[in-house]
Amino acid sequence: MIASRLKKITSLWVVIVLLLFVISIILGILMRLNQGDVIQLSPVTFYTDMTVHGLTMISIWYVAGMAAVNFIMERYVTTSKPANIIALVFTLIGVLMLWASTFIGKFHAGWTFLYPLPFKEMLKAWATPLFLFSIAVLGVGWLIWCVSLIAGMLKKYSLAQVFAWQYFRKGPKTETPPFILISMITLVGIVTCLLAAVILLVLLFAEYFSKGAFVNDALLIKNLTYFFGHTIANEMLYLGLAVIYELFAEISGKPKWKTTWYVALAWNCTLFFILTAFFHHLYMDFVQPEGLQILGQLASYLASLPAAGVTVFSIVVAIYRTKINWTLANLLFFIGVMGWVVGGLGAVIDATISNNFVLHNTLWVPAHFHTYNAMGNVLFSLGFFYWFSFQFSNKMDDNKLSALKLFFLVFGGIGFLAAFYIGGADSIPRRYSNYPDEFPLAKTLAIIGGSFATIYLIGILLFFVNISKRCVKILFSRSS
Amino acid sequence: MHYSILVLFLILAVISISVFVYVFLTSKSNDNQSTGMANALQKRFWFILILLVILCIFASVTIPKSPYYQFADKQPSKVIHVAAQQFNFIMSNNAIDPKSPVGDAYITVDANELVEFRVTSLDVNHGFAIYDPAFKLIAQTQAMPGYINRLRYQFKEPGLYHILCLEYCGMAHQVMRSYFTVK
Repeated sequence: MIASRLKKITSLWVVIVLLLFVISIILGILMRLNQGDVIQLSPVTFYTDMTVHGLTMISIWYVAGMAAVNFIMERYVTTSKPANIIALVFTLIGVLMLWASTFIGKFHAGWTFLYPLPFKEMLKAWATPLFLFSIAVLGVGWLIWCVSLIAGMLKKYSLAQVFAWQYFRKGPKTETPPFILISMITLVGIVTCLLAAVILLVLLFAEYFSKGAFVNDALLIKNLTYFFGHTIANEMLYLGLAVIYELFAEISGKPKWKTTWYVALAWNCTLFFILTAFFHHLYMDFVQPEGLQILGQLASYLASLPAAGVTVFSIVVAIYRTKINWTLANLLFFIGVMGWVVGGLGAVIDATISNNFVLHNTLWVPAHFHTYNAMGNVLFSLGFFYWFSFQFSNKMDDNKLSALKLFFLVFGGIGFLAAFYIGGADSIPRRYSNYPDEFPLAKTLAIIGGSFATIYLIGILLFFVNISKRCVKILFSRSS
Repeated sequence: MHYSILVLFLILAVISISVFVYVFLTSKSNDNQSTGMANALQKRFWFILILLVILCIFASVTIPKSPYYQFADKQPSKVIHVAAQQFNFIMSNNAIDPKSPVGDAYITVDANELVEFRVTSLDVNHGFAIYDPAFKLIAQTQAMPGYINRLRYQFKEPGLYHILCLEYCGMAHQVMRSYFTVK
C-alpha cells in the first residue's frame, strides 16, 4: 500500500514541474522569436531568459525523475518522506532565489555559468552571490534526497546486491530488480556530480569573498562545471529509464523485466562511462591533455551501449509480434525511447572530435540535447505523471484527447528540432540573441522553430490541465 | 552547410525510427500470433556486441582525424597571436602584451601556408571560430584566460575569412567578431 503522504508529495511535484515547464517553454519560445526578429528583447533580457530557461529545465526534469523514482522505490524499500519534502522545499526556494538573481538582479551568465563570467555578467552586484547560493540550496536539497534513497536501498540490499554483482557468478541466489540496479547506479552518479558542484561552489565563493586575492584556474573550473552540469543532465535521463524498466512491462500487461549478467555488467560500466563522458565539452580546449579528449570520445560512445543497447532492445523485445495493451502512458514511454535514440545519434555525431571541430557551440548542440530531453526525457516523465494521476482515480480517461495530445507533441517537437539541426549543419552559432545578416537561414529557422515549439506547448498544456486536475484531487483527498 | 553531417544524421534517424515504427505495427497487427521474439536474450547479446564493434570502428576511423593531430609533425610558416576580450579579438603578427594589448590593423596569410593561431583570453572564456568566405564554420578553438590554445590550419581558398565568438561571453557576445584575409 503506497503511503498517502507519498502520493500527496508526488502529486505536488507533478503539478509544480508541469507549471514550471510551461513557463520555461514560453521563455524558450520568446528566445526563438527574438532571434527571428518577430519580437525585440534587449540582449540582457534575452540572456537572462536563456539562463533561467536552461537552469529551470534542468532542475524540473531532474526532480521529476527523482519524484518518479522515489514513488516507485516505495514498492521495494521504505523511503524517507521528510527527505522528499526537504528536497521539495529546497527546490522551490532555490528556484525563487534563481529567479530573483536573474529577473531582478539581471544575472545572465548562462546556466553553465562558466568561470569567470559569473563575476562579470550581472547588473546588480548581489545577483552573483544570490545565483551561486541558489545553486547551493538546490544542491543541498537534492543531495539529501539522493543519500536518503541510497540509504533506504542499502537497508534492504547488500552493497553487492544493489549493484547486482551476484549475477557475475553462476546461479545467483538473490534477485536484484532492474529498477533497483539502475536507480542505484544513477543515484551514485548524481551524488558524485553534486559533490563536484560543492567543490566548484567553494572555489567560486573563495574567489568572490577574497575579492580577487584568490584566483581560480579556468581549465580546472571548466572541468568541474561540466563534470557537474553534463553529468546531472545525463543522469536525469537514466532516472526516467529506471521508471521505464519498472513500468513499461507492467502497463503493457507483460511479465516484469529481469536482470541478467550482461545487464548488470552494462549498467555497472555505465557508472564509469557517464562520469567520464563530460570531457567532450572540452574538446576545443586544446590545452586539455589529449588522453582525456580521447577518453571523452570513447566514454561518450560506450555510454550508449548499456543504456541504449539494453533498454532499446528490451523495449523492442517486449513489443515485437506481441499483443500490447497500448495506453497513453506506455505510448509516451515508447515514443520517448525513440526520441532519446534519435537525440543520442545527434549526440554521438557531436561527441566525435573531428565533427565537434565544426559543430561545437553551433545550433547542433541545442538540437541534440533538446531531442533527448523534449522528445525523450519529458515523455518518460509525462508517461509516469499520466500513469500516476490515473492510479488513484476511479474514473478512467476517455482517451478522446490522447491522439491529439501526442500529435501536438510529436509534430511540434519534430518541427522545432529540425530547425535546430539544419541551423547546426549550417554553422549558425548557438546562444546568439540576434543573428548577423551573413546567416540568411538563421532568422527563418528561428521563426519556424518558435512556431513549432508553440504547437508542442499546446500539447503540454493539454497534458498539464488533464494531469494537474487529477493531482490536485489526490493532494486534497482525505483518505489514502 | 555541412551536408555530410546532416545527411549522416538523417539516415541514422530514419533507420532508427523505421525500426521503432515497424516493431510498433507488429504489436497492432491482428494476424500476429503473439509469439514474441524467439531467443530474445541471445539476440540482445549479439545486438550489443555488434553495436560495440560498429562504435569501435567509428572511433578508430575518426579519432586520428582529430584537430590535435592535424599538421602536428609540420612546422608552421606563420604564427598569428590572438587575445580575445569582451567583446573583440586582438590579432597580431607579434606576441601581445596582456598589460597593453595592441593588435595589427590587418592580418593577411598566404593560401596553402601552414598558419598557427595562438589563442588566449584576457578576461572570460571566448570561442575563436573561423568561418570561410561562404560563412561555413571550418575550424575553431577556445580562448581561455591563463592558457594558450594552438590551432593550426592551412587555408586553400583565398578570400575574406571571418572570426566569430562561439562561447557565450556576455551581453554583446553576438557582435564579437573579426576577420583576416587569405591571399
